[in-house]
Amino acid sequence: MKTSLFGSTGLAMLLFLAAPVWAADETESATAKEMNLALLARIEKLEAELAAVREAVQQSTAIATRAETNATKTAASVIKVKKFASAAADASYAGAPSDSKWHLAGYADVGFVGSNGPNADSFVTGKFNPSFHFQYKDKLIFESELEFLTTSDGKTEIELEYSQVDLFLNDNMTLVMGKFLSPIGQFQERLHPSWINRIQGAPAGFGHDGIQPASDTGFQLRGIIPLAKSKWTYAIAVGNGPRTNSEGGVAFEGVGRDDNRNKSVGGRVGFFPTPYLEIGGSYLTTRVNGYMGPGAPGLILGGPIDARYELWGFDASLTKGALAARVEYLSSNRDMLFSSTLEDPAGILLPELGMEAWYGQVSYRLSKIGDSDFIHKLEPVIRYGEFRISGQNELEEENAQNRLNIGLNYWLSPTIVTKAGLEWRDFTVAGVDSETLYQFQMAYGF
Amino acid sequence: MKIQNKQWAALCILLASAALVYSSSSLAGTEPKEKKVKPNPMLIVQGAKTWKENCGRCHNLRSPKELTDEEWDVSVSHMRVRANLSKGDAEAVRAFLKASN
Repeated sequence: MKTSLFGSTGLAMLLFLAAPVWAADETESATAKEMNLALLARIEKLEAELAAVREAVQQSTAIATRAETNATKTAASVIKVKKFASAAADASYAGAPSDSKWHLAGYADVGFVGSNGPNADSFVTGKFNPSFHFQYKDKLIFESELEFLTTSDGKTEIELEYSQVDLFLNDNMTLVMGKFLSPIGQFQERLHPSWINRIQGAPAGFGHDGIQPASDTGFQLRGIIPLAKSKWTYAIAVGNGPRTNSEGGVAFEGVGRDDNRNKSVGGRVGFFPTPYLEIGGSYLTTRVNGYMGPGAPGLILGGPIDARYELWGFDASLTKGALAARVEYLSSNRDMLFSSTLEDPAGILLPELGMEAWYGQVSYRLSKIGDSDFIHKLEPVIRYGEFRISGQNELEEENAQNRLNIGLNYWLSPTIVTKAGLEWRDFTVAGVDSETLYQFQMAYGF
Repeated sequence: MKIQNKQWAALCILLASAALVYSSSSLAGTEPKEKKVKPNPMLIVQGAKTWKENCGRCHNLRSPKELTDEEWDVSVSHMRVRANLSKGDAEAVRAFLKASN
């Protein structure tokens, strides 16, 4: 019994003691459950946040990729712009690379001529000679020069001095086609423009009604032959040739239609032993028809109506520093032929015509004399020449002469000059009075 | 002389025609535009010498500043024909004038 009591009591105590423990366990279980739920909610929240972060990262990656692509494109554009700018800079340095280019050049002059001869002292308007140059790549150039003149009675004359296409065949050879200045000698092709010519007029025989051919219409092959330290130049020309004028002379004015079946063939060869010395030789041969003036009834049959015409000459120039010395000589011969003239429109036999002209000229710029700028711009010049004609009395009376020029030039700039000069014309035909001219001129090459 | 004259003329016309055909083929070509490069200093020096020796033979030397680069291009081509300059001489003179204007 006692045992049983102890046992019952113990069990009761155990129960008594166990009850709160049981109760405590239940409380803890509930708390854990709540905590689990909270954790679960937190995890879900974290997962949601993670998903959001992932999406944000993906979007950022896409944006970064697009940005990188744009940056690459921009860099490529920058490179293109840089290349373009560099090319533009090069182009502006070396000149615009256009295929066609042009240039307006030329010269003009005004002046005064006094004389002790029959003509009154006169102001002269001189000439206005614009020249146009059009170039296509480095292949060809078209060039043309007009000459505007005021005549003694106030009219304006316009002449086409030359109009030619220059085709560059290779580095050293050019084909010239059209109306060109005669390559015979030096004066006509290179020295006659008033801003280049040191004296107001042409040397005797080298102007109009002279021996010097002015121009021809046809073609030229011209160029350069380098030879060691020296240089050769050449110009071979074929053209329509000259015509007989109403005074019986030979006019070489670049006619647009040939009046016979013979072309003129001629040219010049130049040699440069040193860069400052040039020696040249010229030759031309052709045939020339008699003159058929307006109203002429016709030429006499049975005689020569065309004649051989030959011209030859030489020239030399020494140009070094302030000194320029030149000499030219030309000689021509035309056989006899029947021709009408103003005096004999029905036609007469014109005898053989011979012409000969030469001149020598020296100019010296005082650029190294003293310290004065005024003195440095002065340039004295002297020229002497002779022109002889045989076989045509009228031409001889009017033109055959000895001519002496002295002058003093003042250069306002390298291309603007004022000239003051005296010219003595001593005509060779007996009875023709000599003449003294006082010449002033301002010329501008532009 | 008449026959000789004709023969000369025919020969010259033949030569000129051949030259024309030759050059026209290069004119029609689609070659690229000239490459623009800065000229080398020696070309400029050579151009100055050529300019002085050739241009001063007939007329005073113009100031390089009188014309623009493009005008010098054309002007020098004109003078290449008139003064019988080689292409190399003309290019050297151009280089000098452009560098000096």
